[in-house]
Amino acid sequence: MIEGKKIRVLVAKAGLDGHDKGALLLSSILRNAGMEVIYTGLRNTVGQIINAALQEDVDVLGVSILSGSHKSFARKIAGQMKEKNMGDMLFIMGGVIPDEDIPVLKKMGVAQVFTQDSSFQDIIAYIRNNVIRHS
Amino acid sequence: MQPEENEIKRIEEAKQKWEDGALKQAMQRLGLQENPLEIYTPADLKDHDYLEQTGFPGEYPFTAGRFAVPLVSAMWGRGKNLGAGKMIKTSFGYSGYGTAEDMREFYLEKGNRRGAGPNIAFDLPTQIGYDSDDELAEGEVGRVGVAIDTLKDFETLYEAWTNDQDLDKIASNWTINGTTNILLAMYIALAEKRGIAQEKLRGTPQNDILKEFVARGTHLFPAKPSMRMTRDTFTYCAEHMPAMNTVSISGFHMREAGATRVQAVAFTFANAIAYFQLAIDAGLDVDVFAKQVTFLNFGGGMEVLKEAACRRAARRVWAKIMRDRFHAKKPANWIYRELGGGLAGYWPCTKQRPLNNLVRVAIGAVFAAMIGDPPGMEPPFDEPLGLGHSIEARQLGADAARIIVEECKLGDVHDALGGSYYIESLTDMYEKEMFELIRKIDEMGGAIEAIGSGWMKMEIIGSAATFQQGVEKGEIIRVGVNKYTEPDEIDVMVPRTSPYKAERREDAEQRQIESLQKIRKQRDNKRVQDCLVKIENAARDEQANLIPLFVEAVKEYTTMGEICRVLRNVFGEAK
Repeated sequence: MIEGKKIRVLVAKAGLDGHDKGALLLSSILRNAGMEVIYTGLRNTVGQIINAALQEDVDVLGVSILSGSHKSFARKIAGQMKEKNMGDMLFIMGGVIPDEDIPVLKKMGVAQVFTQDSSFQDIIAYIRNNVIRHS
Repeated sequence: MQPEENEIKRIEEAKQKWEDGALKQAMQRLGLQENPLEIYTPADLKDHDYLEQTGFPGEYPFTAGRFAVPLVSAMWGRGKNLGAGKMIKTSFGYSGYGTAEDMREFYLEKGNRRGAGPNIAFDLPTQIGYDSDDELAEGEVGRVGVAIDTLKDFETLYEAWTNDQDLDKIASNWTINGTTNILLAMYIALAEKRGIAQEKLRGTPQNDILKEFVARGTHLFPAKPSMRMTRDTFTYCAEHMPAMNTVSISGFHMREAGATRVQAVAFTFANAIAYFQLAIDAGLDVDVFAKQVTFLNFGGGMEVLKEAACRRAARRVWAKIMRDRFHAKKPANWIYRELGGGLAGYWPCTKQRPLNNLVRVAIGAVFAAMIGDPPGMEPPFDEPLGLGHSIEARQLGADAARIIVEECKLGDVHDALGGSYYIESLTDMYEKEMFELIRKIDEMGGAIEAIGSGWMKMEIIGSAATFQQGVEKGEIIRVGVNKYTEPDEIDVMVPRTSPYKAERREDAEQRQIESLQKIRKQRDNKRVQDCLVKIENAARDEQANLIPLFVEAVKEYTTMGEICRVLRNVFGEAK
């Protein structure tokens, strides 16, 4: 993210999960907080998410999963990000993710996981504090 | 109930006197600028007609109750067995995970309930028509439900349902929508293999594709071909499967997605109107068709008095639609068929201090019982903790329902809330609001238009956003989430026994893919291809019913994904 410019966020639904209330609300709330948000819509593959993140040149990649397939997707997305040198991009996840899986996800390369414990303000604060800034 | 004009005047004057006197004094004493409570009097019901608007249970307009004697009293009332004893360990409710082998074992281990049948959750690839080895299925196989790729999987799963629990003795419940007809074809083929006529088969597929577009997201094709598939279900079952329900029209998911309580009911009814019209246009008699239509519940929330009033209004609204719009002749068809309950909803349940969810759901069940519905204790308290409800949660849920029925005796009087100035005022108001929304949707051209234009989804997400703003501002309180979260609060928990074997879920995908690839090698692939060609051709013919062709195809072990790929070629894809 270039200092002085708006933070750009890709909010992505990964896999076949069709529950988008959280992703839609997050997109709207982040926009209200002054960020530029692109929402992918439903049913995206890892390839589609990575391509969108690169094309849109976002600072933050937020992946929403409520279907229990979070470990599988985290592993693959983090792997792709490493391969494509996307280390500067903040990778966060949200949805229905059991607490015991969070350390596992972080080991895989997910920076932070937001579940029902988190408020939208938590997410905004986290992004602002952790997005990588270039001058 | 309709007080006379003079009486109304006297009441209004007395209310004014109370507001200027006792109320004002109390507010001054407490330093309040506004009255924190509402009050309702007979004056609020001056236009309410008891016989016309409330009436008697089991009779038009059904406000006071769907039945003259509620099913819950007959089956589970005081003195009967409400899920007694062994049933807790053997009951499993809505469930599914892993492969068909895993579920067969699941059912067999628990011992089967007499007369009941499986209530099956399917994984996302099955729901959306992708085989377990499809690229898009990766990571999803056997997670939110059981994986079903071919007839072989149904054969395996239903090995747990034989003899005195064979297909002609049970009712199957399937939460399946876009791929209903293929699953139904598998059930028909399975029954045929067992020598059971399809006329004997009982069950309920959810099969409510319209709500998928706006609230649940497992649609496959665009609306028009989706409705054609639904028509196929309606006409096929009308002719060949009179004991099968064809649909479970759902408001629940829309409410969970953020719709208001009025929107959830009104949108459900708009969708239902579209389905009924579909059936009528296909030449079905509304009175015959109605017998195979069910509704899931409308969803709920924690403002339980409002939820109770909303349910009462829903009954009246649907009765008017069936009698006055569709001219159903049989009064029994004027009221919807549903299990009832679910008044508290799932969305108010919290991951924080989850035992509070037992309280939340029990409160909802109390008010369900007070309006003549079963005291449904769904969801179990550990719903927000992930996939699979523990045995302990089911035990406590069953006990709560028993307490409501046996100790509180809430099932002993019809419509205990009836006549309440507050409840009847709310009911009348909700009815107006529901009809207003239905009229608006009619003006757009009906539910299909309202969905296709994006309007219905926008309304739902708009309501979700409004609610969220209330939460963020602290105007809407969620105990343990945005209030009462200090470190001194105690995180109470009980030990939980998962109903599923976690390790099975971990390698389910691999096992399923292996068995699927084996099947592809062993079947007659020429016949499979022939079946697929026939399906593709018939799909292009609007008038053709595809279900018989699905039956033929699944018998050859054609896969769900292969059939859906062909259908996607013809119908297109909706994202």
